[in-house]
Amino acid sequence: MDEWKPNPAAKPHKKRSWYLAWKYKLMNQRALRKLGSTGAVLFLLVTVIVNIKLILDTRRAAYEEEEESAQDYDDEMLNVEVPRHPVNNKKVLDVEVYSSRSKVYVAVDGTTVLEDEAREQGRGIHVIVLNQATGHVMAKRVFDTYSPHEDEAMVLFLNMVARGRILIFTIKDEGSFHLKETAKNVLKSLGSQVAPFLSWRDMWTFVGKKGGEVYGEKHAKSPALSTWGDPVLLKTEVHLTSVEDAECHWPDTELNRRRKRFCSKVEGYGSVCSCKDPTPIEFNPEPLKDNKVFDVPVAVIAGNRPNYLYRMLRSLLSAQGVNPQMITVFIDGYYEEPMDVVELFGLSGIQHTPISIKNARVSQHYKASLTATFNLFPDAKFAVVLEEDLDISVDFFSFLSQSIHLLEEDESLYCISAWNDQGYEHTAEDPSLLYRVETMPGLGWVLRKSLYKDELEPKWPTPEKAISPPQLWDWDMWMRMPEQRKGRECIIPDISRSYHFGIVGLNMNGYFHEAYFKKHKFNTVPNVQLKNVESLRKDNYETEIHRLLGEAEVLDHSKNPCEDSFVPDTEGRVYVMFIRMEQEADFTTWTQLAKCLHIWDLDVRGNHKGLWRLFRKKNHFLVVGVPASPYSSKKPSSVTPIFMEPPAKEEGAVAVPAVAAAEQT
Amino acid sequence: VLALLSLTSLVFLLFQLCYYKFYLSHKNGAAFSKVRGSQSGQDSTRWHVVRKFLGLISSHNIPVYLIDPLILGLVDKDIEQIRSSPDGPSPECKYFCAPRDFTTFALLDKTWKHEGGLFRTAEKMGFQWLKIINKDPRLDGMDDLSGMEIPLHYIFKLASHAIHLVVFYERSGNFLWHGPLRLKQHMDRKFVPFRKLHFGRYPGAYEKPELLLVSIDDLKVQIPKNPSSFLEEMSHSRFLECRYREARAFFQLYPDDASLDAVEFRKKAKSLLHLAALTLNNLGVKFWLSSGTCLGWYRQCNVIPHSKDVDLGIFIRDYKADIIPAFQKAGLPLKHKFGKVQDSLELSFQGEDDVKLDIFFFYEEDDHIWNGGTQAKSGKKFKYLFPKFTLCWTEFVELKVHVPCETLQYVEANYGPEWKVPVKTWDWKSSPFNVQDNGVWPIDEWDNVIQIY
Repeated sequence: MDEWKPNPAAKPHKKRSWYLAWKYKLMNQRALRKLGSTGAVLFLLVTVIVNIKLILDTRRAAYEEEEESAQDYDDEMLNVEVPRHPVNNKKVLDVEVYSSRSKVYVAVDGTTVLEDEAREQGRGIHVIVLNQATGHVMAKRVFDTYSPHEDEAMVLFLNMVARGRILIFTIKDEGSFHLKETAKNVLKSLGSQVAPFLSWRDMWTFVGKKGGEVYGEKHAKSPALSTWGDPVLLKTEVHLTSVEDAECHWPDTELNRRRKRFCSKVEGYGSVCSCKDPTPIEFNPEPLKDNKVFDVPVAVIAGNRPNYLYRMLRSLLSAQGVNPQMITVFIDGYYEEPMDVVELFGLSGIQHTPISIKNARVSQHYKASLTATFNLFPDAKFAVVLEEDLDISVDFFSFLSQSIHLLEEDESLYCISAWNDQGYEHTAEDPSLLYRVETMPGLGWVLRKSLYKDELEPKWPTPEKAISPPQLWDWDMWMRMPEQRKGRECIIPDISRSYHFGIVGLNMNGYFHEAYFKKHKFNTVPNVQLKNVESLRKDNYETEIHRLLGEAEVLDHSKNPCEDSFVPDTEGRVYVMFIRMEQEADFTTWTQLAKCLHIWDLDVRGNHKGLWRLFRKKNHFLVVGVPASPYSSKKPSSVTPIFMEPPAKEEGAVAVPAVAAAEQT
Repeated sequence: VLALLSLTSLVFLLFQLCYYKFYLSHKNGAAFSKVRGSQSGQDSTRWHVVRKFLGLISSHNIPVYLIDPLILGLVDKDIEQIRSSPDGPSPECKYFCAPRDFTTFALLDKTWKHEGGLFRTAEKMGFQWLKIINKDPRLDGMDDLSGMEIPLHYIFKLASHAIHLVVFYERSGNFLWHGPLRLKQHMDRKFVPFRKLHFGRYPGAYEKPELLLVSIDDLKVQIPKNPSSFLEEMSHSRFLECRYREARAFFQLYPDDASLDAVEFRKKAKSLLHLAALTLNNLGVKFWLSSGTCLGWYRQCNVIPHSKDVDLGIFIRDYKADIIPAFQKAGLPLKHKFGKVQDSLELSFQGEDDVKLDIFFFYEEDDHIWNGGTQAKSGKKFKYLFPKFTLCWTEFVELKVHVPCETLQYVEANYGPEWKVPVKTWDWKSSPFNVQDNGVWPIDEWDNVIQIY
């Protein structure tokens, strides 16, 4: 069409000028002829105009049609996709690193990638890892090496960083007090000349390539114990390498493409990005025979703790009977790195932009995640709810597969949980044993859709409500309230099928974790056949308890129950003790007993009608609260229930357990 | 001179002719050449492309089924024969060679483990492909959730034929949903003639189909067990998503009632609606959300907690005498019956604890649709006028139900331009925007047209 397009315009012009010439020449000729020729010219002109108009019209029509053809299908939202980072062809990066008492910052090519001038925060050594080919920030960490053990974490982290990455260090406030020899040697091996001599309140900045050149180092000595070194500002240039050099050459498979994407973005995940021998990211655990939970969706609730999430997903995907397609990770916030972890494992992830603060936000995140889970899997009758700081037992799904029918059939059940609050190394023994408890442990549990849709979702604590007594609206505390639980119970295993490894959570601190979670028992035996699952049904369980109590030997109540000798040195026996419990809510003695047994004592957990079941010295150990428990009738009349008083304490101490209890996640 | 003139004119004339010819052949190029030229070649191309595609997807274990309306239409004519001889060789290429631009297949999202190497294999086989992704509507109703975008459509093109693969998702309400096909800016608008696609202009809602493995034209494919009912379903499958964003804005202005009463009412209304839907669907009676229930869906994607009943609309032509006994059997006694089939029929059933189910019957006129109301004590008649509308599917309280496609006009007719403002005191005789007096029932008819139980 284009070829002949100019012609129609050119031709008539030429013709017309010809005719004008003719016209003048033949001026003197007969009028008729004149008229004829004029008429002809006019006719011609009209033809030309009509023709041109026609051509234009048809062309326009054709054009419009093309335009139109796809119009209906256009996305209404003009999705202009702007590349997130401008393409950077520069071969050199300008790096600025600042270290001082109250402020640190790092700028790469004029972009601030770290800035911390908050008071009372961010003390220690800040480490930034850059990709040596793109200059992108791959990891950002701060190690408070003023405090103990943080230097070990730093060494661990630095060892995980791949060779060739660019490392940037800067100290805020103080970073040497607990910086031990090992750590100093690692820094030295990276090329730092100052690190071995870093001392109290020195300021220090360092930029180097792991296993390669040093780009710069600056140091300011503290003149006296009471003062800090002068602020230092290091400006240096880093030469970028080519992308090929910065990447590993793994075989080109779907898995490795995911791995490559991940490893070029983030650092600090160790052998998953090792060039020579990368750790697998697909696990293919043995499938479960007759897996009743294969089609049950799994919601993983996560925040911004990508390393935890990484550890958690590894254990989850290694559990027998796992179905990766049913897993959805819900990330509380618009964080990139947790999403990278999710994509590494080929799972689907959903980000939730926070709308309220602290616990209320966690609570809203839970609600959104649960609602979304049932929306995404409309056929599901249940959902498994996990958190990012849990290890999942290898027989987690086998445990659920064997017990889930109870949740479907027994209306008196509230949940199945993988966690036994009282299941410590010294108090849990039997991987095939299950209990019914009146508390809701969480930490890996199964929720019934009807419970959620009909009862919980419509009443879920809203952010507005959450403001006043904040602890009360913590979602798990709320779920434990009698208005929600309505006397229903949860099924738990004796030995937990999850392990709570999180330390840096919202509600967690190191001491708390050490005291209450570290010594928790965690099942590592695959394919455990659960014992007598049917006896967990409401009425069967009572029969079972009565049988147990009938068989149990009554312990010597004159001894101190806290002493080891309270329980004879036997194995596999059943013992019972009676404690004083005036009414249903009287846990005075129980709390003291729990304290001395070093089990969960911050609130009451694991009870069933005033009965607690645990193990001591490999013997089943039953505790009955008299007279509140219906099992009190089993108490021989000669036995006086043990009463333990809380030690007299100053007033403030009483409030502590209540608050701490509310904080448990 | 004249000769020259006429010569030029002639040139123009020729030119004109030439142009038209060129233009026409350009416009319908493909069609013309097919008809004139290598018909059998073109036909077998389609068959070959389909065969290749089926090979591709079976090598990746992706279960697809045929939903192409053209082919299903042809198949439907011979359905008995095809059913009875699932393996018989076919003498001629009767179905997959039929002239068309596309062959459409469906894929259930949950039955496959995402793409993997599918596209690379497809490329190796010579396919060009296009993937259309968009937001996941199942997360749309949720505050601030942003999931990964989900694939809605795939197009695989080979030679002059293309395969349109529509991805179906399960939604709450036990139905399948497919998304609209919308091209993003950078996409090739001429990849295929998108306008000729049978799926994608609108999102659609379908029942989960029963499938049948058949052999047609020597190719083994899954098809819906009953092609004609599938085609019937397809013809009015248009789906409307709830306006979640506007609903959220509404709740910003008027915070939701979270009182125990509200929670309880919503629960009851939901179960009443589920029961009503079950009953009417079993009877095969088409119904839609009307009045307050429709407003609740349109304005806030939920039941309005201060409304006291559930309202449904049914076209009078769909009326069945079985409706009343069916509801009674379902445990919903008739509360009142106003009007008669010929005029202003309205049924009201008593649900659990004071929640009432109102069914209004709609009468179609040339330029409008109306339903009637009756005041029991005075015998007064009322008439509520609506502009004409068609029905679309939507998802509401975990149910697939109809709503008027032209919902805004419907709601505006009923509640006026101020429909966005919640009104707690409502009088059905005077509050509606579209109410008209319609005289009084003759006294001798009262026994029939005003029945209260």
